[in-house]
Amino acid sequence: MPDIILRINGAQVEVKAVATATLAEVLREELGLTGTKMMCNEGECGACTVLINGKPMLSCMTLAIDAQNKDILTIEGLADPVTGQLHPIQKAFVEHSGMQCGVCTPGMILTAKALIDDNPKPTEEDVRRALAGNLCRCGNYRRIAECVLDAAQKMRTGEKDGK
Amino acid sequence: MESEFSVFGKSFIRKDAIEKAKGEVKYIADIQLPRMLHAKFLRSPYAHAKITSIDTSKAEAMPGVKCVLTHQNVPKVHPLRKFEYLLDENVHFPGEEVAAVAALTPRIAEAALKLIDVKYQVLPAVVDPEEAIKPTAPLAQEGYDTNIFHGTDLVHIPRLEKDHWLRLEVGDIDKGFVEADEVIEAEFGWTPVQYNCSPKPRTVVCEWAGDKLTCWADTQLPLFVWQDLAATLAVPQAKIRVIANTAVGGYGGKMPERIATLAAIMAKRTGRPVRAAFSRAEDLIATHHRISYKNTHRVGVKKDGTMTALYNKILAHWGKDTTVPYICQGTGLTGSVMLYGCPNVKSETCGILTNTVGYGPMNGFGDPEVIYTLERLMDSAAEKINMDPVAFRLKNCMRYGNRAMEYEQVLYGPIKWGILGSDLNSFPELIEKCAEKAGWKEKWKGWRTPMATKGQKKTGIGMAIGMHHTSFWPSSAVVKMNQDGSANVLSMAVEMGQGYGTIISQIVAETLGLRYEDVNPTLSDTGATPTSRGNVASSGTSSPANSARLAAEDVRRQLFELAAPRLNATVDALEAKDGSIRVKGTDRKISIASLCFANWQITGHANNPPYDSIKDEKTGQVIHAYAAAVSIAEVEVDTETGVVDLLRLTSGHDCGRAINPVLIENQIDLGLVMANGWVRTEKYVIDEKTGVVMNPNLIDYKLSTFLDMPRSDDFQRFYVEKPCAWGPFGAKGMSETAMTAVGPAIANAVYNAVGARIYDGFLSPDNILKSMKKEKKR
Repeated sequence: MPDIILRINGAQVEVKAVATATLAEVLREELGLTGTKMMCNEGECGACTVLINGKPMLSCMTLAIDAQNKDILTIEGLADPVTGQLHPIQKAFVEHSGMQCGVCTPGMILTAKALIDDNPKPTEEDVRRALAGNLCRCGNYRRIAECVLDAAQKMRTGEKDGK
Repeated sequence: MESEFSVFGKSFIRKDAIEKAKGEVKYIADIQLPRMLHAKFLRSPYAHAKITSIDTSKAEAMPGVKCVLTHQNVPKVHPLRKFEYLLDENVHFPGEEVAAVAALTPRIAEAALKLIDVKYQVLPAVVDPEEAIKPTAPLAQEGYDTNIFHGTDLVHIPRLEKDHWLRLEVGDIDKGFVEADEVIEAEFGWTPVQYNCSPKPRTVVCEWAGDKLTCWADTQLPLFVWQDLAATLAVPQAKIRVIANTAVGGYGGKMPERIATLAAIMAKRTGRPVRAAFSRAEDLIATHHRISYKNTHRVGVKKDGTMTALYNKILAHWGKDTTVPYICQGTGLTGSVMLYGCPNVKSETCGILTNTVGYGPMNGFGDPEVIYTLERLMDSAAEKINMDPVAFRLKNCMRYGNRAMEYEQVLYGPIKWGILGSDLNSFPELIEKCAEKAGWKEKWKGWRTPMATKGQKKTGIGMAIGMHHTSFWPSSAVVKMNQDGSANVLSMAVEMGQGYGTIISQIVAETLGLRYEDVNPTLSDTGATPTSRGNVASSGTSSPANSARLAAEDVRRQLFELAAPRLNATVDALEAKDGSIRVKGTDRKISIASLCFANWQITGHANNPPYDSIKDEKTGQVIHAYAAAVSIAEVEVDTETGVVDLLRLTSGHDCGRAINPVLIENQIDLGLVMANGWVRTEKYVIDEKTGVVMNPNLIDYKLSTFLDMPRSDDFQRFYVEKPCAWGPFGAKGMSETAMTAVGPAIANAVYNAVGARIYDGFLSPDNILKSMKKEKKR
């Protein structure tokens, strides 16, 4: 089994894995980073989304070896590592109950982060389109859109306040 | 207005919000134990077959394989309340478990499955329920002499009649039809089968220590899993601990079924922990789905809109399931009799066995499947007498005082009619408010007149009402006070996303005058929490959470008794408020923390009172609790392609009293989105001959996405509050009711747009075009 070197949430880790191992498998089973949730394991639901070089990618459809030399951000890397302070998107999901069972939540939050990083002033339609590949069986779509828009707004005004 | 409550009725942050937003929540699938094995299952390719031989020697010899189970080496026992065996030499649907392998990794287990050599004798199978009820049809199950379910030694339904039908009657239906000016009848196509599609496929982890078993099960019914394990393994329940404290959305379908027992047996035989997890495809082909009905309705109405008689015939497709669907049908029968106050109603139903996966409980549990068609017929009835559909519902809807009954009485008898509480007067208010919010008066242009026509696109509006019971069951809870004055509430019921852990904490905090953050739930551990049935039948609020309120009252009484001498007051003069026990109307108080620090044994316990103890104040009759829903949909239909765009949805609900408004809205959203999927996007495709599922993945089995639902401005939901006599502080279960009116509202809106009734179950473009063509020929 080859050694795979991954850069996850800013830290470099080495893991042994079969060449066909997916990134989701390595994150969850080898590294215990179970914050990356899975619904389908076949690229249909968006739950296992992580950011690779800032872009939302399905970790169940990405080979771990292909993710080498790239910046991987998982849900575990989103809150401030020192203070534990939640990212504004996480905060919005918490405050407005943007989750029910919670399985789609990490994927939703990371996909939303990629959207806001790219487009700090998204409309509701932008949010709906960006998140259309993330399924929520609890039907929380309206609430999730509300959370993302609220977070985007707070991130904009937060910057102005110099926070 | 200042609320009389300090914690109840406010949108506190979910107890599990932070761990879910950070991905720190550990679902069963996230559990990793040292030396854990992984189990995979071999499944039948045939709809009906007898296994003539199984050779597992090659699989067993494969490096890394630790255990192989087949029907030859597992106990020949029935898991509780089921007709089927744990593993059977006869298989009854394509996808039924034939063998299980536990190995070091999932990949090894999967590879080993391919080395198992099974020889089958293929038996005649029947997939179509309408074929199955013909006398010449092959028998779907061994042990039956017909495909119409008729009970077994294990499953006895006392009210089942000699012809195997179940009936419910009120008034005199013949007289009712004679009194009618118009009689309208229609037979509808089978309501769609729906896959519950829990975000996590069925998963269990089992580990033995000596003769004691711990089973982490992703289920909404830990009680049933616990009973099944004990009965099947012949181990006392006291030695089995089922933990389901982070279950994932069950939507009515989440029993781990036989995998818990199989994993427990493999864990026992290997002396290692075993995780058994279905893949998405396995979950889609081999776990039970929403029951499917073929309904015929006949209604008699007078010219002024008064309903005089209603007849409902419900054929129910069970697939291979032989137990639970009857309870769905009890619900469906009750719902069909209770949605309207019509004095003369007769409903009858039978359950049909075939060789498909089992169809049974899912969100709504037998009610949406009858309301979906009934509400379309009601639209036809209103049209026949040229009455506005809103006015027709207002005239006939169920309300306070109308006859009501408990749905399990339909199965087990005796039928005891009671009444509905005054909370059901929410129906008229909901209908009127919903119509107002949707702009019904401006938009409704009359029968067979669309809202607008733009080229080939026509827009229409439609409405429907729905209801579902909220269950009041035996259940028990404990509130344990800690030395710092904080409290844990212990309940076997499950947090699976609906917010149970949050609302039970709010209820206890309110009762004890504690802050929300000082109460934390300990849930769904059969070794540590007092028994309740689990979170099914919208019972969480009215049953286990209600017993938690009573347990908190028990604690409060103890605190009062401790505080009274210190405050030099009688117990009656005290109240629990702001973390203290206080003499009402004074500032004499003692903190709960100081009382608990000195008396660290304070624990309260309570059971839910009996069902028939809740009586109406005015009439003294037993009250039955139901929740109401009204939905209004606006659609645009492309008359060339049949494609429907859901433009706007307005939906009103009642909840007794809202414990946590945001959580209620979330549960309403769940119902609305799930109903839209059920009737429009989630087509479950089965090959008619082989019974094989043709779309076992989430690309081809389409859940509703963001883009299938209207934007926020056009997605309006609201609720009204009328305290229910049953639940804690007037709250009641409402989650399953949320979906009941949406399907028929969409169907009625499509009719308004295109002028053709769709009698098929699925509102797909092809079915819509077919109906339009038929209408043109008329």
